[in-house]
Amino acid sequence: MFSEITRQQFRRFRSIRRAWISFWILVGAYVLSLFSEHLANDRPLVMRYNGGTYFPTVKFYSAETFGGRYRTEADYLALEQSPEFLAKGGWMLFPIIKSDPLRNYLKEEGSPPHAPSARHWLGTDDSARDVAARLLYGFRLSMSFALTLAILGAVVGVIVGGLQGYAGGWFDLAGQRIIEIWSALPFLYVVILIGSIYGQTFGVLLFVFLLFEWIGLSYYMRGEFYRLKNQTFTQAAQALGAGKFRILYRHILPNAMVPVITLFPFMLIGGISSLTALDFLGFGLPPPTPSWGEMLQQGLKYLYAPWLAFSSVLALFTTLLLASFVGEGARAAFDPRSSNAIR
Amino acid sequence: MPSAEPAPAAPPLLQVNGLTIRFGEHTAVDGISFRLGKGETLAVVGESGSGKSVSALALTRLLPPPPACRLGGEILLGDRDILKLDEPALHRIRGKEIAYIFQEPSSSLNPLFTIGAQIAEAIRLHRPDVKNPVAEILRVLDLVGIRDPEKRHRDYPHQLSGGMQQRVMIAMALVCQPKILVADEPTTALDVTIQAQIIDLLRDLKQKLGMSVLMITHNFGIVHGFADRVIVMFRGKIVEEGPTEVILRQPQHPYTKALISCIPRLGQRQERLVTIDYSTLVP
Ligand SMILES: Nc1ncnc2c1ncn2[C@@H]1O[C@H](COP(=O)(O)OP(=O)(O)O)[C@@H](O)[C@H]1O
Ligand SMILES: [Mg+2]
Repeated sequence: MFSEITRQQFRRFRSIRRAWISFWILVGAYVLSLFSEHLANDRPLVMRYNGGTYFPTVKFYSAETFGGRYRTEADYLALEQSPEFLAKGGWMLFPIIKSDPLRNYLKEEGSPPHAPSARHWLGTDDSARDVAARLLYGFRLSMSFALTLAILGAVVGVIVGGLQGYAGGWFDLAGQRIIEIWSALPFLYVVILIGSIYGQTFGVLLFVFLLFEWIGLSYYMRGEFYRLKNQTFTQAAQALGAGKFRILYRHILPNAMVPVITLFPFMLIGGISSLTALDFLGFGLPPPTPSWGEMLQQGLKYLYAPWLAFSSVLALFTTLLLASFVGEGARAAFDPRSSNAIR
Repeated sequence: MPSAEPAPAAPPLLQVNGLTIRFGEHTAVDGISFRLGKGETLAVVGESGSGKSVSALALTRLLPPPPACRLGGEILLGDRDILKLDEPALHRIRGKEIAYIFQEPSSSLNPLFTIGAQIAEAIRLHRPDVKNPVAEILRVLDLVGIRDPEKRHRDYPHQLSGGMQQRVMIAMALVCQPKILVADEPTTALDVTIQAQIIDLLRDLKQKLGMSVLMITHNFGIVHGFADRVIVMFRGKIVEEGPTEVILRQPQHPYTKALISCIPRLGQRQERLVTIDYSTLVP
């Protein structure tokens, strides 16, 4: 499937240690965060009660199950302390972070935000929600958002730019003018407008971001397709009787992938930081969504509680730094025009 | 040799009548006519820019669509006029009836696929009857003189030398058993020794397969012993046409004479590069 050249580029990417390590840290962290429910939760992973074994992070159990009175979900933190539960041989194993990102832990001493403690490693925010849990869920949210956005943006960018470069002529010219006008639209106003009409959900925000995300890549793809359609091997394929579609997907598209690979990490960075910025301004995902932007904003608001600013800034900074290491390495490994100075 | 030109009883395989090619206001080819018989080898000779390549590409309409490029005249392949066919019909002719090899073998192959995969593409396009494509790939690679085809067909283009790449291009062109092979300066980009090998290979193959060849070149040196007839093109027009022996021995047109005098001969020292005096050619 992969040619020698492509394999060589991957080998070069691997040899750039900083990028290679950053890549795996990011992948590892994201894969871990997909299991956030089992890493940060105030429901136990496993519990024993009255001879039975239960898995509350994967299954719902009502309070009745454990001798309570209601059909609502059992309050495991309270249950853990109750003498009846312990008397019936009750036993619980909690996830590493013993908190739910949405729950308010108001039983802590003092008023929120609470400083870091053994119970809440990174403290709590102004609603007494666990910062560590919110960071983790926020990471998953940011990455999922940015990944989806970058993938969809890349698909649209490749299609639009590719068609422009391949068709050329008036189609290309008209497309360029429309894109210029389109990209001049004030993004923030569009977000606020559409958000206020259709609600600020993950899907709506993704859609609004996507309206603009593809533009940068489309310029590159337009150039690549234009260059490749005039390559001798595309003409040779045409002389062999290959149709337009076949030439596009077999001869041009695979040879035009370098900008997609080198730009992708930067599209990811763009997605994470713009979602964070929007959340920070309050036009992003509505509360109580665990989002990094909202946490940053609290950090700014409660400067006397430095754990808020410190943890969210550090998390954002590390993620963006790792992603730019990956991007820098990908550019050095895959773009033949860039120098190979980075090691 | 007055009888060198055999009078064809049947209509020729390919008949071009008054072909005109215009790029906007610029007329690249101005009403040329020629024909190509079955099993015949026709050389088109002319300096760079004389319209050889565009004429060759016009044979299967591989030129930009109008208004960028306008074609006039007639190109008869059997009883079909190429200029009147629709796209799907052209796709069936390209590669299947008229196949091409080009000047730059290194850039004529897709760098991302093995040579086997690229020959397989040709098979898939035109020969759905082939049950075992791999065997067919190995057969044509062997036919064009590539040693160890079992191993070689998994190579990527950049792992082959220029001469080998051109052999692969020839294999790709031949796998669909075309009636006509158009070779547009197939040796220009190669070393001199490799040039001779490729010419020998083409001579071999056309005899073995009995196909017609349209050999485009700016070098009279490779015409001798290869082509049956020669067309000399100058600025989009045919200035001379005839059997190879006749043209080489008694060129009529001064341009042809000048081109022939450019052939370097072994054992003959040339003090100066031969230059063509255009003032005598253009009225
Ligand atoms: N795509 C094109 N657009 C405009 N002019 C072209 C194009 N292709 C070829 N020409 C012109 O056609 C003429 C003949 O070119 P060509 O057939 O490539 O010459 P050659 O005999 O060297 O193969 C040249 O004057 C060239 O400028
Ligand atoms: Mg040419």
